[in-house]
Amino acid sequence: MLTYIIRRILALIPMLLVISFLVYLGLELTPGDAVSYMIPPDVAGNLSAEDLNALREQLGLNKSFLERYGIWLFNVLQGNFGHSLEGGVPIKDIFLDRLPATLELSAVAIFFSTVFGCVLGTIGALKRGSATDSGLTVAGMLGVSIPEFFFGLVALSYFSLHLEWLPVGGRLLPGHDSYWDRIPHLVLPGLVLSLMMTAGVMRYSRAAMLDALGREYIRTARAKGLPEWRVNLMHGLRTALTPVIVLIGFRLPTLIGGSVIIEQIFQWPGVGNEFIAAVRGQDYPLVMMIALFSVLAMLLASLIIDILTALIDPRVRLE
Amino acid sequence: MSDVALEVRDIRTYIYSNQRCNKAVDGVSFTIHRGKTLCIVGESGCGKSVTASAIMQLLPALSRIESGSIIYHSDKGEVRIDQLPRNGAKMRAIRGSEIAMIFQDPMTALNPVYTIGFQIAETLMYHTKLRGRRIRERSVELLRRMGIPLPEQRAAEYPHNFSGGMRQRAMIAMAMACSPKILIADEPTTALDVTIQAQIFELMERLKSEHDTAIMLITHDMGVVAELADEVAVMYMGKIVEAGTVDEVLRRPRHPYTRALLRSIPVLGRGKNQDIQPIRGSTPDPYERPPGCQFAPRCDFATSECDVMPEEAMLSSSHRVMCWHHERLANGA
Repeated sequence: MLTYIIRRILALIPMLLVISFLVYLGLELTPGDAVSYMIPPDVAGNLSAEDLNALREQLGLNKSFLERYGIWLFNVLQGNFGHSLEGGVPIKDIFLDRLPATLELSAVAIFFSTVFGCVLGTIGALKRGSATDSGLTVAGMLGVSIPEFFFGLVALSYFSLHLEWLPVGGRLLPGHDSYWDRIPHLVLPGLVLSLMMTAGVMRYSRAAMLDALGREYIRTARAKGLPEWRVNLMHGLRTALTPVIVLIGFRLPTLIGGSVIIEQIFQWPGVGNEFIAAVRGQDYPLVMMIALFSVLAMLLASLIIDILTALIDPRVRLE
Repeated sequence: MSDVALEVRDIRTYIYSNQRCNKAVDGVSFTIHRGKTLCIVGESGCGKSVTASAIMQLLPALSRIESGSIIYHSDKGEVRIDQLPRNGAKMRAIRGSEIAMIFQDPMTALNPVYTIGFQIAETLMYHTKLRGRRIRERSVELLRRMGIPLPEQRAAEYPHNFSGGMRQRAMIAMAMACSPKILIADEPTTALDVTIQAQIFELMERLKSEHDTAIMLITHDMGVVAELADEVAVMYMGKIVEAGTVDEVLRRPRHPYTRALLRSIPVLGRGKNQDIQPIRGSTPDPYERPPGCQFAPRCDFATSECDVMPEEAMLSSSHRVMCWHHERLANGA
């Protein structure tokens, strides 16, 4: 098992190299170079070509593409992600600033959607055809099909503006920094994001559970005289979990990369919000780093999925 | 009659779907004796598996035992299985411990995510007072007795590590865990190759004689019947058309269907030129059954009488047949 995990991690390295190369290539293909961003056009007009060239030489921009990629990669490996074009803030600082907010929101959404999604999906499958099941199915359909911005806006206008129970957005008011002050801010975006995901997880786990319950080994379990709860949970749910975990796992990177819409609506200072700002401001280095980061999150998520499925399903470990 | 293990009297089991009703088992009676094997033979869909499921109360949700009785003769007296709640405590106490069942396909009948040892231990946990290490020892012991090499090691492995024959042995170990009085085997070797099949049957024979277990073996293979059965019941479209001892049914079949079945299989030793006759036609749609004898449309002996369901005729104390023309068959027609 451990060798399996180590092998999987080692396999990530070449993949990351290729992807970082592609990301750097993308950066290279964008019009202009760092100098054209650093120096405002009106100033640039007054500078001679030699001066600009000297500056490029000084910054290493005249080196070959591969050489510059090597230097860039070396820097990235050392944690030096470069600077944002806007204000020249180190990208690393932006990440350190934004990531905790995104992770906080994601953790809440993943936790609640997994718990409620699995529980409701299992109930639906066990009570198939009942009013409860139909109700859950309809709710699930609504949850999956209503866009999240609509949910977000309705929640915002009702709970924040109409009832005035919860703040309209942001993560923390200035001057409040205790842990408890954060929770009211977290409730609405967390709720909306969880609801959307719960619907998906529920539909999926219901289907997986129904599939598992129709299997022969369920009949074997009953034929052994096991009580219903054990048949349903230990033999049914346990095997139904594998596909559900894969689904949740694949949601992970999108959540870590920042749920762009939710973060926009609730003015959540996370990675998603920063991404929007970076795209709008044509802040290419920042966009590229966020992209690279999202890819990394994707790869890590699939690693986690593989490890979890191997833990749950012994057949996976074969390779 | 202390050697009777299970008595099934005139049970009817209907399966409902789309507002239609399939009379899957339509008035079936038989008894299973301790230490004996009853083979139930018939084509696919004749109701043999449904009968087995009815005894275990493992019928699908949209079906039920409509009438009749299933009486289990336990050590503590008779139990009316058909009157027990499906998944109630009493039924669960019988399942797996007093009456155990093994299934057709050991590939799918074992849960892929649990070890073989765990799946055997589950049965022991719910039906015996053994706990912890004793359960593990007993599981390993069961595997050993089923002829599985390296049982300690195999108990910790998963079903996908086992070959088909080994899985069926593990299934039997699971079924025999509590030394049940009755073992129901639903086509236990259909998914296995012939050599393995012989080994599995040998194993079942041994268990039968060692534990005095009553075996109800469901099969569609007449060769298996000849080999293993003490008694045979031939089912067709939800009814037992002929039943009796092996000798009576295989040597002197009195129902046209039994005779046709026997003629449709090759016999070893008769050479390659032997006359094998398939049964003509196919089984009728269970939702549009013939009015009388179910076999009449395919039968060479059918007359106008056959539009009415024949009564069961007793030919000896054990041999019974459900046909208007059984006497014509007796005269070697």
